[in-house]
Amino acid sequence: MKNSASRSIIALSSTALALPGIALADAPPTQSTISYKLSNYQEDDLARAEAPFGELERYDIDVHQFQLVSPLGRNMSVHVDANYESLSGASPWFTSLGLDGEPNVNLSGPSGISDRRTELSVGSRYYLENGSFAANIGYSEENDYRATYFGLNGEKHYNNDLTTVSAGLSYSSDEIFPTDAALFNRSIDEDKQSTSVFVSVSQIINQVSSFQSAFSFTEQSGFLSDPYKLRDIRPDDKTQLAWSNSYRKFFVAANAALHVNYRYYHDDFGISSHTSDLSWHQNLGRTFQLVPQLRYYSQSAADFFTNVDDFLNPTSEYQSSDYRLSAFGAVSGGFSVIADMGSWKATLTAERYLANDKYSAFDVSQPSTALVKYNRVSLGIDFQF
Amino acid sequence: MRALRTTLLLLICSLMLISCADVRAWERGYLAREEMAWDPDALESSLNDHIFFSKEASSGGNSAAGGGCGCN
Repeated sequence: MKNSASRSIIALSSTALALPGIALADAPPTQSTISYKLSNYQEDDLARAEAPFGELERYDIDVHQFQLVSPLGRNMSVHVDANYESLSGASPWFTSLGLDGEPNVNLSGPSGISDRRTELSVGSRYYLENGSFAANIGYSEENDYRATYFGLNGEKHYNNDLTTVSAGLSYSSDEIFPTDAALFNRSIDEDKQSTSVFVSVSQIINQVSSFQSAFSFTEQSGFLSDPYKLRDIRPDDKTQLAWSNSYRKFFVAANAALHVNYRYYHDDFGISSHTSDLSWHQNLGRTFQLVPQLRYYSQSAADFFTNVDDFLNPTSEYQSSDYRLSAFGAVSGGFSVIADMGSWKATLTAERYLANDKYSAFDVSQPSTALVKYNRVSLGIDFQF
Repeated sequence: MRALRTTLLLLICSLMLISCADVRAWERGYLAREEMAWDPDALESSLNDHIFFSKEASSGGNSAAGGGCGCN
């Protein structure tokens, strides 16, 4: 009886350590997993009232994601990630004042944009008795953009593995070479660098709940403007700070897990933001899981944002009509259905995203045109072997 | 610097508010469940980060940034 009880405890402990849980002593994966996800991202067309001339059709993007995670020896794991995106559509080119006194947007080109993005990254994690450290390198290429990056991170467990401290850094060197540069008098070849560091603390609160708080700092320098906009002049340095908090709780009676996340963000373009999201992971028997999710986001405007481009402004002054630098709010909701059949797992996700200046938690002195609304549908397959 | 000080102060206060139990390794079955992970679906998180990075001004949080893209 005693042996049986001991075996049960050992088996339960081993299971707990092997599963991808939180703030537990690290262990490499015992099996390889190959994953593939196909997604379609489709933005709503603009209304003719918002864009009196030219294209109304915005981005339509197909995304293919591949991932292989595999054990390597007794103390290591490796992962390979590959992404491929193909996009078509049009994006805002410049803004002007309409006859009705409201800002209008003009989308790029009569034929829109067509581009592809390919990304490959590889990484490895080495597991120690009470922690781990990892490294990864990656390369991403588009018709007009190239990024080479690497990252290092590590984590250590304290306090009988109840507390985990993680830290890491990453660096990316990017090159921008806009298409039709001579035709539209765009920059020919620019570059930018990004350096990012983070530190996080995870804490097990009790048998069913845990909490994580993280702080990240990112410094960007180089060409940070949008070369495809008719008038877009931004500072060549940006400092970003983000403070993220996550809470997980398992409800035993409901056989479900609650996820709550909140992030505060601030940068020296003058933008602050709040992001919060909730999701409920409801198990149905051993095979199915339903995951409804809700997200709210709101940001303030950059100091140099204008909703109507001023072409008389001297080029020495910062100016951008990019809607992503305006004050707005966004609400999104999604739903996932997961079927876990042992070594196979399938996930179907649908999401709707609505951005609007009326949803903003911040003052909106210059409402932007062209805020995005989109639908996203994804189908993912995981296979363990 | 003021924002940084405020953030650090809030972080310390929130950690102090949490009272934690001594949970033994064999009592962590629920915590070890896949749906309790910080990121239960790595590809889903990666895709969402990529979309929000290209449509909103904010990024960063609980990991270091990856490579950039022409989307932003």
